[in-house]
Amino acid sequence: MNKLELTLALMKPHLVKNPIALQTIRNKIIASNFKIVRSGRKMLNQEDAEKFYEEHKGKFFYNRLLTSMLSGPLEIYVLAREEAIRYWRQLMGPTKVYKAQFDDPSSIRGEFGLSDTRNATHGSDSPESAIREIKILLPDFDFNKWNKDEKIYFENNKVTFNSNQFIHQIDYK
Amino acid sequence: MANFRKLIGLLESDGKRLYATIKRKFPVNTEETSKLPVFDYGVSDKSYNRVFVWGHTKTGALGIPYVKSSESYDSIKNFLRPKRLGFGEKNKVKHATCGFGFTLFHTVNDDSKTLYGTGLNTDSQIGYHEVKKDHPLEIIFYPKPISLPIKYSENFKIHKISAGRAHSLVLSNVGLFAFGNNAYGQCGRPSIQDEDYIKSNYIHFIKNLGGKQIIDIECGQDHSLALTEDGSVYSCGWGADGQTGLGHFNNCSSFSKVMGDISKEKIVKLSSRCDFVMALNDKGEVFGWGNTEYGQITLPGGIQQICKPTYIEMLKPLGKIKDIAAGGSSCIVLNEDRQVFSWGFGILGFGPNVQQSTKPAKIPETLFGKNEFQPNNVVEKIQCGVSHYFAITNLGDLYSWGRNRNGCLGLGNESDQYFPLKVCLGGIVKNVHCGIDHSVAVCKPFI
Repeated sequence: MNKLELTLALMKPHLVKNPIALQTIRNKIIASNFKIVRSGRKMLNQEDAEKFYEEHKGKFFYNRLLTSMLSGPLEIYVLAREEAIRYWRQLMGPTKVYKAQFDDPSSIRGEFGLSDTRNATHGSDSPESAIREIKILLPDFDFNKWNKDEKIYFENNKVTFNSNQFIHQIDYK
Repeated sequence: MANFRKLIGLLESDGKRLYATIKRKFPVNTEETSKLPVFDYGVSDKSYNRVFVWGHTKTGALGIPYVKSSESYDSIKNFLRPKRLGFGEKNKVKHATCGFGFTLFHTVNDDSKTLYGTGLNTDSQIGYHEVKKDHPLEIIFYPKPISLPIKYSENFKIHKISAGRAHSLVLSNVGLFAFGNNAYGQCGRPSIQDEDYIKSNYIHFIKNLGGKQIIDIECGQDHSLALTEDGSVYSCGWGADGQTGLGHFNNCSSFSKVMGDISKEKIVKLSSRCDFVMALNDKGEVFGWGNTEYGQITLPGGIQQICKPTYIEMLKPLGKIKDIAAGGSSCIVLNEDRQVFSWGFGILGFGPNVQQSTKPAKIPETLFGKNEFQPNNVVEKIQCGVSHYFAITNLGDLYSWGRNRNGCLGLGNESDQYFPLKVCLGGIVKNVHCGIDHSVAVCKPFI
């Protein structure tokens, strides 16, 4: 079994409001062999959102990115797979939806994005940013504890998928 | 052979051709037959419209219930060709409008139900519907009446309906009704922290703006625009790209007057399907504001967001503009000579090799069906979605091109269409309405 990697996947507010599209993307995640370590729905607050998009501060799209993320609840998933960051970004497709819909029409953004801001999903771009972003959105999630206690179950595939909660639960047997 | 000629000659000898006739027992009296009544085929009622729908089926926005017991949910296919809507046969549909996964219909029935909605309802954008108390429906698959908070009377009339990503505006003779998602203030009221829109039963009412009656409305994805009788424009909602045109990039939760270059103009039409807005004045000049990342308006200094209405000077050589349509990354206009021009980024209608143009370029008229057999065929109206376009000609034909998301072009396939192509549907098209991934056409019957 290869080394598992964790990444953060976010479903943006306009997508969460479309249960049909959300379900299709969930199916895509499962079909791409991702394991869902954590999953939940949360409304961001201004402080967290500002911290989350720290790196984009000062860019022309910062304000619209922030206001759109604050416009409704988000679905937050922590995904695990070998090379999870790369595969999840590949599944998402190019950032700019107006271009993605022609360059990569079968990607999530090409299929479900509405405009460059309403680009359906977010994914971490490096292991460091995945740790940083998960810490902001899921402060309870402990990386060390997960690596020590839970990782081995995921590596040995001793997990069952709960489709109602959209999460892989560990079989402690 | 000679004998045969002889025979013919004999038959025609008295100068009259003889035919073999059936000997009738009761000979036909020609006088009587002329008196017989001829079956008079009826002409359709004037208020009758045929409604065609096509595109993404699963959201229920097409208003066609599809779940049969034999059918599994995943096997449901998109409607790639226009399908006649049964709801439109039972109700007199006058207008329709499409949002992101939902559709509103305005009917002129003889009863109090004048507004119907179908599709996604996660933000109460088609009103509050429940089967059990406190269990609001997330999706509705067949048009259901939306009750407006007004006592029904004969005088109550709906003028226009418009839908955004997750909010709806209904313009009536008494005022404007707004409901659905209000996260940015697009319904014209302050947004409430952590508001649960699906359980919301609240319909906001605006009587008039600045003491003037509202005559037209237009929804962007997350902002709203209204036009008053004196030709001024009011806007509210998301302003992060400047799409409200109010001179700032903040959200605005009440309809405010748009100034800039249009402050002294009489605006007659507004168009905005995404984050770019175009406004047309009575002299045929076009103004724009909002997101111009893809060169909808080229400004010095590479500015990509305009928060003040700006006169689009490059359209001046095209003459007087008659109709406008602003999509997400590109725009089309129709001038007085009925020529269609497009610019921006995306599928502009010039084949697969042209992806970007900062100057308006003409789409050849032959592509809209002008040829030797129908030389008078000209484009009458234009309409667009976020990345796809429709043109209606004076003969009632519908042409579409652009990104074919879930078959929203109605051409029978799901591949992108790089130049205008005629949509096959049985009616004279009067209006077409574009959602994100579905479309509705309101047509007149042929007879």
